[in-house]
Amino acid sequence: MAAITPDPPRHSVPGFGPRAAFWVTAWRIVKAKPSRLVGLGIIALFTWMGIFGPMLYPANLPIDPNAIYAAPSWHFWLGTDFEGTSNLALVVTGARYVLFAALMAAVFTVVIGTGVGLISGYYMGAADGILMRVTDFFLTIPGFPLLVVLSTVWNFGQPVAMGFVLGITGWGALARAVRSQTLSLRERGFIEAARGMGLPWYHIVFREILPNMGPYIAMNLLVSVTGAIYAEVGLFYLGVVPFHVNNWGVMLNLAVFTGGAMESPQALPYLLSPLAAILILTLGVVLFLDALDEIFNPRLREAS
Amino acid sequence: MRAIEPRGRTDASAIRIRDLTVLYHTERGMLPALKDVNLDVRSGIITGFIGESGSGKTTLAMAMMNTIRLPGRIQRGRVEVPNVGNVLEFQGERLRRLHGQMFGFVFQASSNSLNPLKRIGSQLLDLGRSHGLTNGRQILADAKALAHRMGMDADRVLTAYQHELSGGMRQRVGIIFALILRAQVLILDEPTTALDMLSQQAVLEIVREIHVEQGLTTVIITHDMGVVAEMAQRVAVLYAGRVVEEGPTPEVLREPRHPYTRGLLHAIPRITGSLEEAQPLSGSPPDLTTVPSQGCVFRDRCPLRMPVCDRVEPETRSAHGDGVVACHGVTADD
Amino acid sequence: MIEVKNLVKTFPAQGGFLKQGEVQAVKGVSFSIPASGAVTFIGESGCGKTTIGRILTGLESYDSGEILYNGMSLADLSPTERRDRLRKVQLIQQDPYAALNPSRTVAQSLTAPLAWEAKRQRRSKTWIEDRSREVLTQVGLNPDVVLPKYPHMLSGGQRQRVVVARALTVNPDVLVADEAVSMIDVSLRLGILHLLHRLCTEEGIAVLFITHDVAAARYVGSDGSLYVIYQGEIVEQGRTEELIQSPVHPYTQSLLSAVPVLRGLERPGEDRYIPRAEFTSGDSTACRFALRCRFSQERCRTEKPLVTTWGKDHHRHTCHFPAPRRVVAEPIENERL
Repeated sequence: MAAITPDPPRHSVPGFGPRAAFWVTAWRIVKAKPSRLVGLGIIALFTWMGIFGPMLYPANLPIDPNAIYAAPSWHFWLGTDFEGTSNLALVVTGARYVLFAALMAAVFTVVIGTGVGLISGYYMGAADGILMRVTDFFLTIPGFPLLVVLSTVWNFGQPVAMGFVLGITGWGALARAVRSQTLSLRERGFIEAARGMGLPWYHIVFREILPNMGPYIAMNLLVSVTGAIYAEVGLFYLGVVPFHVNNWGVMLNLAVFTGGAMESPQALPYLLSPLAAILILTLGVVLFLDALDEIFNPRLREAS
Repeated sequence: MRAIEPRGRTDASAIRIRDLTVLYHTERGMLPALKDVNLDVRSGIITGFIGESGSGKTTLAMAMMNTIRLPGRIQRGRVEVPNVGNVLEFQGERLRRLHGQMFGFVFQASSNSLNPLKRIGSQLLDLGRSHGLTNGRQILADAKALAHRMGMDADRVLTAYQHELSGGMRQRVGIIFALILRAQVLILDEPTTALDMLSQQAVLEIVREIHVEQGLTTVIITHDMGVVAEMAQRVAVLYAGRVVEEGPTPEVLREPRHPYTRGLLHAIPRITGSLEEAQPLSGSPPDLTTVPSQGCVFRDRCPLRMPVCDRVEPETRSAHGDGVVACHGVTADD
Repeated sequence: MIEVKNLVKTFPAQGGFLKQGEVQAVKGVSFSIPASGAVTFIGESGCGKTTIGRILTGLESYDSGEILYNGMSLADLSPTERRDRLRKVQLIQQDPYAALNPSRTVAQSLTAPLAWEAKRQRRSKTWIEDRSREVLTQVGLNPDVVLPKYPHMLSGGQRQRVVVARALTVNPDVLVADEAVSMIDVSLRLGILHLLHRLCTEEGIAVLFITHDVAAARYVGSDGSLYVIYQGEIVEQGRTEELIQSPVHPYTQSLLSAVPVLRGLERPGEDRYIPRAEFTSGDSTACRFALRCRFSQERCRTEKPLVTTWGKDHHRHTCHFPAPRRVVAEPIENERL
């Protein structure tokens, strides 16, 4: 593929060095609506939390026996847990596992789903038949129960493992959608022209067809992230996955089953802080989604 | 075509379009798609609206029926229809009823305006019902008569889905839809664009016959001078939302006054005449955002460009007897 | 350059009201495209002219017959040789809106085939850019303006020029222009036709021009040959200008009659006539046009006409009762008001 993208040695014409311009226009599009900026800000905040969060606090979070299940206060912004540890610190340090696993899940979903869909749609015939049967097989696997079963034999201490399992069960629908779009795109004039020019298949699939699905795939990536967060937090909440590290799901589980947040208002801040984190992140994703279509669709991009 | 229209400056039975300005909302603000259009669409004859893509010819027809939708908006103007009044003052249910009785519109690609999941006949019944015609049998009988009139197998057409019809047949079905409510004004938007020559001629022939038989006022919107030349008694040449020339077709063709009309005529691939005479029109048709806001809109492509063209938009002058032309480079002929 | 003998192509029939079974789209067509010559096919939609063009560019297979490129049969070539051979035959599609990838700039669209070429010929990256500019200039576009644009920012005429420019990146021997102007504003068509003509006469690229508009054929190459195709068969052929002026087959005559007359400037030909009936599938044992033909007689419905010459050797037709008729409009001279 490297041979096909010319490095831009001279920027005499913008058309030959489009990458830099891409980020400039992307930023302009995000800037156009405050809601998109808010969305981007929220996503950036959580990304930052995931990367640097654990560095802000000592490895073992301080406990305060005098402030068990404390209400939110100046000292403890979001209250404390059963040991008197700040909920804010727990949310911030717990973000890494959740977000990294969710990102991995989304990447697996999108890469496998898009790849299978593209190849299946472009080649049709036998390859299509086999790939689609495989897809149907994965579509029929109930993901969540599978995870419950797998967790009994597999250690989910590494977020990559968790992400992999979530991704491997979730790509079927995307593959189907990408395949049907590929099927319609491959009949278009410009694909025929590329074939007539004798361009290699990987150029046609990845350079001609794939960009036309950019908005759709980018949206799927973001939506998969939130979907994966729900799934893994759900697993931890149910307690079917052993707790290795602190994360949002563990917090929910402890708040409900140990702290009795359902019965006593005392533990409520402990329950609500991870929930709020998930809700805010989802809100951020939803607000930002609106910009993606414009960023990846040249027609909308230039119109704005 | 038949005899040239009798000359006369006023025609009481014409649809009179006055000072019509239509704005479109774009990223660069509200821009005019039509600007101060004054035009008489005379009754009982075929009028051609000719122009390139983006010239405003379809917008003009839409505005005539008061069916401009967002992001477009009619800013000002009047469309006076005899015995009806100013169409632009009609609204809601009254406007909808007027559309059925008065205007029949045939869409550019008729296939896009038909529901692919319903048979033609049942769509006709739906249309009739929505305009208060409950006698389904009468509607179908009328439709059959029209279909038969247009040389189609009526029973097959009415029971067909749109994908089962050829391009020429869809266009004819579009005409049935336009006329089933007994419209008096038939407007055809690019009726022949997707058709090959033989189907085009067949459709045009049918339009001409139906026009005469039903005593219609017909408007043909097209970018093809050939279609106008074959069909229309009068032609209005549109450029960038302005009527730049208007008059009886044979005279406009024989002695085009506006340099744009002249350019259009020279740019037609013709089957007779010298090959060298044909000259492509230079430049590209403007879109809303590239139309100059001051001076003559055609000056960038104009061979007659003068300093005054940059500053002043040309007034319309009379030409071709009862027609008009808007150009600084031509003098009025009376 | 290209010689086609007895080309046959059959499609499996699909639903709709076509009968089950097979549809023969091309029924034994023979023709040749000389190097840097202009050949035109005219006919209605569905007559098989597009299929022939797609077969020549390798986008469609064929059932029987022979295609010779420079004397070599396509069937005898290895897959690699065949691909290289077919690359030299480029298709210009009817719809310039679909022929360009909406998510790629003009620069990107042109770069793709050039980068491939550059890799094979070990050229530098600046060569790619220079060549992109060269082909755009060749088709009459300003590279600085057009290169960074996306297709939707161009007019129909400009898009079609970009499509031609893209085809030129592979240095083709033949351009197959399938209805290349029918979706473009009439005012811009002549520019494209002149471009094809120039590529033919100045760059020596042969052009196969497929159209339903006979008038357009004159501007691509008036001295080239014209083939009239009806239901997958050639019904008349000759030199373009001669055939337009003196057709003898009633189908050619009806096609020529259908060209709009510029009333005021032209008067319709005396024998002008337009068949009203829709395309009906003809009989293989009779003249396929017999059912729509105004002049058909008993013999036309029972006996298949053979290819016959009319006057000169290159003017051939398949009609039992050929007759010259005046169907083309004539210019009105000096009849001023």
